[in-house]
Amino acid sequence: MNLKSTIIIIEDEKSICNFIETTLTAHNYKVITASTGQEGLSLITSCFPDLILLDLGLPDIDGMNIIKKVRKWSMVPIIVISARTQEQEKVLALDSGSDDYITKPFGTSELLARIRTALRRHQQQGGFPAQNEPVYSYDDLTIDFSKRLVTLKGKEIHLTQIEYKLVSLLAQNSGRVLTYDYIINHIWGPYADNNNNQILRVNMAHIRRKIENNPAEPNYIFTEIGVGYRMRESRQQS
Amino acid sequence: MNYLAQVLQKKEKREPMPRHMLIKNIILTVAVLSASTLLAILFFYFGKNTTSVVIIYILAVVFISRYSNGYIPGIISSFIGVICVNYVFTYPFMKFNFTMDGYPVTFLGMVLISSLISTMTSHLKLQNRMIQEREKLLAEAEKETMRANLLRAISHDLRTPLTGMIGACNTYLDTQNSLSKREQTELIQNVYDDANWLLNMVENLLTITRIRTNETPIHKTSELLEEVISEAVLRFRKRIPDADIQVQIPEDFIIIPMDATLIEQVLINLLENAYYHGASNHPICLTVTVKNSSACIKIRDFGQGIPAEKLETIFDGSPSTPNQSGDSRKGMGIGLTICRTIITAHNGNIYASNHESGADITFCLPLEEENTYES
Repeated sequence: MNLKSTIIIIEDEKSICNFIETTLTAHNYKVITASTGQEGLSLITSCFPDLILLDLGLPDIDGMNIIKKVRKWSMVPIIVISARTQEQEKVLALDSGSDDYITKPFGTSELLARIRTALRRHQQQGGFPAQNEPVYSYDDLTIDFSKRLVTLKGKEIHLTQIEYKLVSLLAQNSGRVLTYDYIINHIWGPYADNNNNQILRVNMAHIRRKIENNPAEPNYIFTEIGVGYRMRESRQQS
Repeated sequence: MNYLAQVLQKKEKREPMPRHMLIKNIILTVAVLSASTLLAILFFYFGKNTTSVVIIYILAVVFISRYSNGYIPGIISSFIGVICVNYVFTYPFMKFNFTMDGYPVTFLGMVLISSLISTMTSHLKLQNRMIQEREKLLAEAEKETMRANLLRAISHDLRTPLTGMIGACNTYLDTQNSLSKREQTELIQNVYDDANWLLNMVENLLTITRIRTNETPIHKTSELLEEVISEAVLRFRKRIPDADIQVQIPEDFIIIPMDATLIEQVLINLLENAYYHGASNHPICLTVTVKNSSACIKIRDFGQGIPAEKLETIFDGSPSTPNQSGDSRKGMGIGLTICRTIITAHNGNIYASNHESGADITFCLPLEEENTYES
């Protein structure tokens, strides 16, 4: 990437803001910081950032409102920063249009990975949808979307129709968390019973038994309790 | 009894009976008396027996003194009863006559019995109230002690790492230039570790408030055990990357109704204990077994084990004296107490035991009743 990506951080805690800014600047991003929601909103409209890091607990505006306001006119990736115990808030933020979330406290590598994923996805969607990766691969797992083939260590894995749909949905969004509702809507359609995600859980458990070495220590698909699932980011992308 | 008398006196010296109480007493007295008079008339006409009438009135007095406040209604009603019996139900009817043979004794007896009963019942009520009050006071005192103990344990546990952090930062800021690169990294690493430990502590405290606020039962949802365990292990690894954990879990789907955040906290606390107290290169084992409609999760470390005399009390959170615990910082402060609180809130149980080369901590949770999700 020759051009520096611009990132706006909206966060009222100065020390957290400082540490993120230092990290991101060191990794060659252009960083703009805002300590209130108002300031953040005006900076977003004037600077056209490539990505927004948003803390939900702002002093002036509810973070959820900022997401909704920005989503009215822009698809710029938003990553929400939240505390651990607020599952409901995370789900709400994801469903109102933020791209991802990161839980406090987070390490720098985790933050950078999330930012990379979000930026890459945005670029793909932005202009070149044809460039969608034809193959997902990480460690021993490979998914060939055109052949509908899932292999583990070169051996084909037999998945049911639903299981394949689930895995490919997660793989195409790899690195990103998908909420239960989002997955159910995409696999079982909008009229599925969203309140009962048991069927989704059971299917995921089956998949885990087929592709993971030890279902209790997954290597490919991670559970975010109370929120959804996230698949490890594919390796082959540059 | 002396104390009781004192209280009684105090009670009587206090402000006069509030109005609504007085009205209630009057209504009660009038209602019970008229009802018993009616009953007495019925009995008198059909049975022609004065004795049963007297008994009915005594019964009325008992009722009144039981359900009214103070002695006065009881005594007044006993007098009214005597007058009624004399005036209405004994010869000569509709006239007062205290002169006939035996009558004075009967009436005197009735007054005495009624007054005695009314005094006794009000005494009893007072005593009951006092016992209740005393129990409440005792319970509150106990709660207060618990809170104080908890606060003491917390402050102690918080202060130690904070002192370390401040010290390390201070050293770094003051002598930055003279420190070698390696020393600097070490200092910062110490601060990082301590801060992480503190964070887990705060998560624990938050967990307590999540349980203890307004006594409502915890919010449970059906969770797949493997998902909860995998997230807990993942989070633990993120914090302590060199921790070695082996997870063994049955092939079946184990669905348990729980508050996943809380159970995750339990797992992390236990793993952390196992990591710090195990002190050996052998990996920590996390094993899940299912028996009799409950799932047991056992966390086994390979260290020195737990002293036999502490096995029973290890979850009580009694702050061990600083000399006793090997390293005061990672003393088994409130972490285990919180684990037990959480597990108890899930209707499960938790216990500690020793094996040949280390300690086991096992907790069991009831499975979901209808486990219909079979493959």
